[in-house]
Amino acid sequence: MTRLRWTRGRAGDGTGEEPAAEWIGCDDAGETIARVVRLQGPLWTGWRLYRAVALDEEGRVIRLLPSVPEGAGWLAYIGGQVVGRADVPLKAVRAAEAALAG
Amino acid sequence: MAANTLETIRNIGITAHIDAGKTTTTERILYYTGVSHKIGEVHDGNTTTDYMEQERERGITITSAAVTCAWKDHRINIIDTPGHIDFNIEVNRSLRVLDGAIFIIEGVAGVQPQSETNWRLADRYNVPRIIYINKLDRTGADFYRAAATLTEKLGINWVALQLPIGAEDQFVGLVDLVEQRAIIWEGGELGAKFRYEEIPADLKDKAAEYRQNLLDTALSVDDAAMEEYFDKGDVSVETLKRCIKKGTISGAFRPVLAGTSFKNKGVQPLLDAVVDYLPSPLDVPGIKVAAEEGADESEDADRRIIKVDPDAPFAGLAFKTINDKYGTLTFVRAYSGTAKSGDMLLNTTKGSRERIGRMFQMHADKREEIKEVHAGDIVAIVGLKDTVTGDTLASPEDPVVLERMAFPVPVIDISVEPKTKDSVEKMTLGLQKLAGEDPSLRLRTDQETGQTILSGMGELHLDIIVDRLKREYGVEANIGAPQVAYRETITRAHTETYTHKKQTGGSGQFAEVKILFEPLERNKGIEFDNKVVGGAVPKEYIPAVEKGIRAQADTGVLAGFPTVDFKFSLIDGKYHDVDSSALAFEIAAKACFRDGMKNAGPVILEPIMDVEVTTPQDHVGDVVGDINRRRGMIQNQESSGTTVTVRAHVPLKEMFGYISDLRSMTKGRASFTMQFHHYDPVPRNIADEIMAKSA
Repeated sequence: MTRLRWTRGRAGDGTGEEPAAEWIGCDDAGETIARVVRLQGPLWTGWRLYRAVALDEEGRVIRLLPSVPEGAGWLAYIGGQVVGRADVPLKAVRAAEAALAG
Repeated sequence: MAANTLETIRNIGITAHIDAGKTTTTERILYYTGVSHKIGEVHDGNTTTDYMEQERERGITITSAAVTCAWKDHRINIIDTPGHIDFNIEVNRSLRVLDGAIFIIEGVAGVQPQSETNWRLADRYNVPRIIYINKLDRTGADFYRAAATLTEKLGINWVALQLPIGAEDQFVGLVDLVEQRAIIWEGGELGAKFRYEEIPADLKDKAAEYRQNLLDTALSVDDAAMEEYFDKGDVSVETLKRCIKKGTISGAFRPVLAGTSFKNKGVQPLLDAVVDYLPSPLDVPGIKVAAEEGADESEDADRRIIKVDPDAPFAGLAFKTINDKYGTLTFVRAYSGTAKSGDMLLNTTKGSRERIGRMFQMHADKREEIKEVHAGDIVAIVGLKDTVTGDTLASPEDPVVLERMAFPVPVIDISVEPKTKDSVEKMTLGLQKLAGEDPSLRLRTDQETGQTILSGMGELHLDIIVDRLKREYGVEANIGAPQVAYRETITRAHTETYTHKKQTGGSGQFAEVKILFEPLERNKGIEFDNKVVGGAVPKEYIPAVEKGIRAQADTGVLAGFPTVDFKFSLIDGKYHDVDSSALAFEIAAKACFRDGMKNAGPVILEPIMDVEVTTPQDHVGDVVGDINRRRGMIQNQESSGTTVTVRAHVPLKEMFGYISDLRSMTKGRASFTMQFHHYDPVPRNIADEIMAKSA
């Protein structure tokens, strides 16, 4: 399994000491390889309310779901692709590393 | 009391389904913590917490006994609570004031109905809890299957902190997933001796799998712990314990431990878990003040919170009263400040003053006098005059009223009358005192027969009360057959006008009231609204109208049962300068109720019970057919191995004598539990029967 160096990314809503909503996995050169992001919400798109939203590094929506699927509040995300889902971030981290290992 | 001392207090409850081993576990805790020098056994009738005669004779816990003990420099105040549904009020009020709880589930049956009820109650009060799967030495016990019922029946996110080593009579110890070692109990010395070992080879893979799950779940509540894990590939024991405590308090997950209290295995690690993972009074958010009169407490989220602070003015909640030979003992949970013997406090619920007499720390039926009580602690106070369960005691500097307690609705009535006429006064006094101790017990006089009616949570509950009346107050009483506690209500709005006019020489009586009666949702009780404008009914007579309706509501118009869940609004009326009086308005209101209710679509309500029958598969057809004959509605059916659990809603009226019918139908192989679920209107034919009987 490919091991990455994981660091805390964006926090809850960016205020105060919110728990991390994102973990960033980098290689030895410090390049971002994978991200684990928490589904957040709700988001009103103008015509529908989404209860689960995953955002990319620039805050763009990468996944919209009507609600958080059971046991899948975290997404493992590599190069624009969702490669795994889990109920807790550590499991999603392992899913990302397993996907990298092929 | 300094904050660092508060950190070492744990106010916990132990709760579970009946016979899951609560009292046995408490006895082991008292033995290992040095409070008792021998272990009492439920079946021998010599336990420390079951100190009432009836508890020892029947082998069940009736009242919550408060016990204080010490473990690893921490003070643990434990409330042992009853498992039988009839005494649910005790669980309810204990959970209300505790900071944490041990939930015991049985290793054979897993989550049982009363575990579910208590779990929901603990959810209501946000009580952090640890789960202890007990009786793993029993034939058929299976830790993994019992744990799976936590997901199936409670739908919770649980995480194992231990795994059993061996099963049933080969159960010898535990794998400690936090410290990654095995704990093996040695025979003898009542389980006081154990040794640490390597995790057995055959359990290494399973332990690794469950530890990974523990890390995944626990570390997710703490980003710093996640970083430590990413840096080192693991975390220290201290970090892991910190995360487990954080997740336990927030309810993000529920830690699961294992053992067999009866065979003295698993209790010391359970005590360690109480100290390590359950909150101190400083770790919980505090208690909310009560909502404004008439407001819904669940909706009023912005109320002030009283935090545990030893330096703030005193505020405490009375959660239990008992009467013994020394007088009335009131158990109070202190939330803020300090109170000393001799202090004057306010009972802010009642608006009266209370002088604090002697105070005690309780060790079941023994007591140790203390001079002051501090925020975070539990104390028993002697000599409070007006304070009953649910009342707030507060310092005059900050006279807050703390969040109220909710009490269950009694569903069974019995009539009680003393065997000798000269015991009438003694019986009334005794029953009033017992009802004062127990908010799930109601006392009323049937206005038509003059009989004293006791309403309670079940036959066992009322049986114990009558027994206590005899033992503690020396009153022998004749008891009527248990009756269903029917209620009456209305189904449509109606406005009624009644004029009370009487002229018998001298000053007469005159009062006219116009009242709107409207149905309310179930369990809303009776509400009154004064909508009179322009002084049509003078202010001084309005309380008499309310009093008249409330008194008359005790005797419904259909069959004489108390009328509930309606609102009455006084909208108009007339008075006479000379002939009107409070009495005349009270009489008019009573008559207006009698006439008005008849036109407001009155119905009789009956208690519907949530019944769960566990039966071998061969008898499912008989059980379901029988439930249908009893006007029951099957809710669901679940198979587990060779047994099937049938859940149904059945009118209480149809459940009298069910146990003997069930036994004969299934050759004694099925069992059942039931608890109150809701009130529903009775079908027309049953209503006719009830009315004919009461006529």
